[in-house]
Amino acid sequence: MIEVKQPKRIPFIGMLQGMLTVFKHGLQKPVTVQYPEEKENLPDRFKYRIFLSMDDCVGCTLCEQVCPNLTISMQTVERENPRNKRKLYPDVNFGTCTVCRNCEEICPTDAIYLTHVFETARTRNSFTYNPEELEKHEEEVKR
Amino acid sequence: MNILNRIQGILSPLGHDLSFAGAYLIETIIALVFAVTVVAGMVYFFRKYMARVQNRIGPNRVGKFGVLQVMADGLKLMQKESIFPDGRDDLPYKIAPIIVFLGLILAFIIVPYSNLYWFGSLTVTHSNVGIILIFAILAIMPIGEIFAGISSNNKYAMLGALRAVAKDISFEVPMMLSILAIIMIASVNTSQPLNLQNIVSVQNIPFGILEPIGLFIFFISMIARASYSPFDMGESDSELVTGDTTEYGGLRFGLFYMGLFGTIFLGSMLVSVLYLGGGSGPYESSLGFIWFLIKTVVLVVISLTVWLSMPRVRIDKFVNFGWKILLPLSFINLVITGIIVLGGIA
Repeated sequence: MIEVKQPKRIPFIGMLQGMLTVFKHGLQKPVTVQYPEEKENLPDRFKYRIFLSMDDCVGCTLCEQVCPNLTISMQTVERENPRNKRKLYPDVNFGTCTVCRNCEEICPTDAIYLTHVFETARTRNSFTYNPEELEKHEEEVKR
Repeated sequence: MNILNRIQGILSPLGHDLSFAGAYLIETIIALVFAVTVVAGMVYFFRKYMARVQNRIGPNRVGKFGVLQVMADGLKLMQKESIFPDGRDDLPYKIAPIIVFLGLILAFIIVPYSNLYWFGSLTVTHSNVGIILIFAILAIMPIGEIFAGISSNNKYAMLGALRAVAKDISFEVPMMLSILAIIMIASVNTSQPLNLQNIVSVQNIPFGILEPIGLFIFFISMIARASYSPFDMGESDSELVTGDTTEYGGLRFGLFYMGLFGTIFLGSMLVSVLYLGGGSGPYESSLGFIWFLIKTVVLVVISLTVWLSMPRVRIDKFVNFGWKILLPLSFINLVITGIIVLGGIA
């Protein structure tokens, strides 16, 4: 038979201390952030949504080459830009993007960059942003 | 002047007999509405308080600050389908929640509510044996639990009911002995110590100061009576599903739930009447009800803090605690009270 060690006395002082702790917690502010109404202060280095400045893009395809999981693929867009003769611009599939920031790091003209925006909820199979959509604000992108 | 006379005065054009009948009816309805409002308020307050203790916000979507959450829950419970277990004992199964809730509401009518401004005394029942009446009614509620447990034809419900019975037996004897001490000490200054109004009016020094042991025993008994943590063996969430209420759903479960929260408030009211002087305080003649409510709400907060800070006691531990600690303590309390009474200290 297993011998269970029993406390000799009922720990009244410990109980009172526990009650006091519980009561003190009742006076503290809740930690809940009620998301859609109030937004948490995100850290400065938090990045998610990729933006593209089409005027700066030179179509070098470095971002496509450095992308680890084929999230970025180059597309032809008919657009007047003397710096981008091949008319190649990246499009991004956010369904697979891992936010590794390699594209931002490698871009020679800082045309592709990541921002704080993270509310990119979309319907299934519409995670791919074409170059024009990458240039727009999140609200303007058609869902 | 009390609230009955006030209402009768308003209804006096109806004639003597009819106006008194109407006044009694309205008075009772007011008391019942008070009871149900208190229960709803308790549920809301408990959910908010528990949330704040756990650093959450609690219900805040239905109505301003979530005050209508209780009504929304009630509506949901009303709409639910009644599911009856096979092999149940039909009549006890169906009347069990009614017995629990009826006992609660009857007890609310007997409590002395003291005075409030123009209304005068708010007390409904002016009985000379009020204290016996109220504990007789409190003894009805466990019958509902036992009915529920045995008639459900479910082993968890059965075990829960057995535990509830073991718990009830072990705390009721010390509770009644501490009530005996109250009656002894009240009998010094009044010829009718069983009358609850008299017990309140003779507390120049609150009995809780004269009998701290009695207060301790009675408060623990009230926690066990309402059967919430640490003494919720009848329910035993983690072991017995929900104990004797396992097979209940919908509004029947709602009645048990209201019974639980109503009993917490009722227990706090009884402690404040018997040990903390009920409605007595500064400006007693017009503000008695307010003092009574303040004392009760403070006790409710203490009760809920106990609920939220302690784990469940094992049933054999509680039975040991009841018979080996509370019962001797209540005898000691009785002896001390006897010394106080005979020594003329009170």
